[in-house]
Amino acid sequence: MRINIRIIVSALLAAMAFVSAAQADQLADIKKKGEIVFGVLGTDEPNSFVDPKTREIVGYEVDIAKAIAQKIGVKPVFKQLAVAARIPELQQGRVDVLAASLTHNKERESQVDFSLTTFVTGQKVLVKNSSGITDVPQLAGKKVVTVKGGTQEPNIRKAVPTVEVVTFETTQQAFLALQQGKGVGYVNDEASLVNDYAKLGPAKKEYAILPTSISVEPLALGIRKNEPALKAVIDDTLRELESSGNADKLFVKWYGPATKLQFDKRSFKIDSDKI
Amino acid sequence: MPHFDSALLLRGQYHDWLLTGLHLSLALWATAFVFALPLAIIVALLRLAPSRALRALGTCYVEGIRNVPLLAHLLFWYFGAPELLPDSLKEWLYAGNFEFVAGAIALTLYTAAYMAEDIRSGMRAIPAVQFEAGRALGFGFLGTTRRVVLPQALRVTVPPLISQTLNLWKDTSIATVIGVAEMMYQAARVESASFRSAEAFAFVTAAYLTVSLLITAVAAWVHHRWPVRTL
Repeated sequence: MRINIRIIVSALLAAMAFVSAAQADQLADIKKKGEIVFGVLGTDEPNSFVDPKTREIVGYEVDIAKAIAQKIGVKPVFKQLAVAARIPELQQGRVDVLAASLTHNKERESQVDFSLTTFVTGQKVLVKNSSGITDVPQLAGKKVVTVKGGTQEPNIRKAVPTVEVVTFETTQQAFLALQQGKGVGYVNDEASLVNDYAKLGPAKKEYAILPTSISVEPLALGIRKNEPALKAVIDDTLRELESSGNADKLFVKWYGPATKLQFDKRSFKIDSDKI
Repeated sequence: MPHFDSALLLRGQYHDWLLTGLHLSLALWATAFVFALPLAIIVALLRLAPSRALRALGTCYVEGIRNVPLLAHLLFWYFGAPELLPDSLKEWLYAGNFEFVAGAIALTLYTAAYMAEDIRSGMRAIPAVQFEAGRALGFGFLGTTRRVVLPQALRVTVPPLISQTLNLWKDTSIATVIGVAEMMYQAARVESASFRSAEAFAFVTAAYLTVSLLITAVAAWVHHRWPVRTL
């Protein structure tokens, strides 16, 4: 019996040593595998979404991810994640990097490392005009809908403490719930909200985006803690995108005047990972 | 392995969220159970009814419900079915806690289909001669069923009904997808707010296990108090 336990313990120790050795440098592992796995949402236009024609996942963050894969010289692989599953999937090593509309905030810094900020968006609320609500404070005591596991729920509760919040697995389910009248407001990142608003088509005139932002959200790529080599190569790629003018082109491609979002100008630069 | 912070489960905001979740899970379970059991008896009677049309109705109910996943039921009752209602009724429904109502409806209908099959088996376990005797004494189908067959059948059915009740208890967790703020929903909320997944899900696991064991204990007592009569 004692021998068996000793064998099991040494096997476990060996396995742990192997695992920690394998995790010593994620960048080296990625190069060895020949592929880098990005966790994306795939449901959040224009950051990452499924192109209805090609059935491929495309978007602003997807293009950034491809540039990183190219820089490292490996194949990019995209794995769709639920909003709430993002950080756990990264921590457990099922994805290498998160490119999933991830807000960089202080609370999350103890869990994951962040790249340079890749996008800055405010969070806003979309309402039906028939609700009579014209600004954020009027949401007091009302029911709003949003997605599970993001910063939307804590932010709206901070902005309007008495608000009632119902959350769903995807932003699109929450958006549907708003359209069906199951809540008076739908909370999301402004960029996604403008995009959803555009999808309403002629019904647009029955809806409005409330003017006040409930928060400012710097979005960044998520990297597992203590992977300096991987973070360095990602940040270098982002800096190069910025200095070559490609970052601006990507912004215009996915957010610019010719898109549904029709943003005129980029209000941020990809140059810092401080928030 | 990060440190397991049990203090988080014993007091404070996260503790309150999880407890509210537990209350709602219990409420959802109790509501669905209270409606599912009588509905199941009705469906079982339909399936054994003397009329072919009624039997067909019972079969349609059981097969139609049992062969569709619970997740689809929940999404249907929350996002689909109410859209067929007139606007005024819809507004009235949505003004209340419609997440809970839709969840309870879906769970009731789903569980009743399974319970009905168990009750039907229980009724078939009662020797047919008893039914015939009842009829010979002048009772109708319903009278014989109510006075003779069903009281014995329900005793026989207790063990499989416990299984269904336990399933119902665990199935309440799926209602999180339609925004019912039950225990899984609150655990996910604690997880995204605090990143303490292990603590949140440890609480949930312990709560599901405890309630399940209590249900089993109560059922064992019922089975002991009203034992199966020798057939």
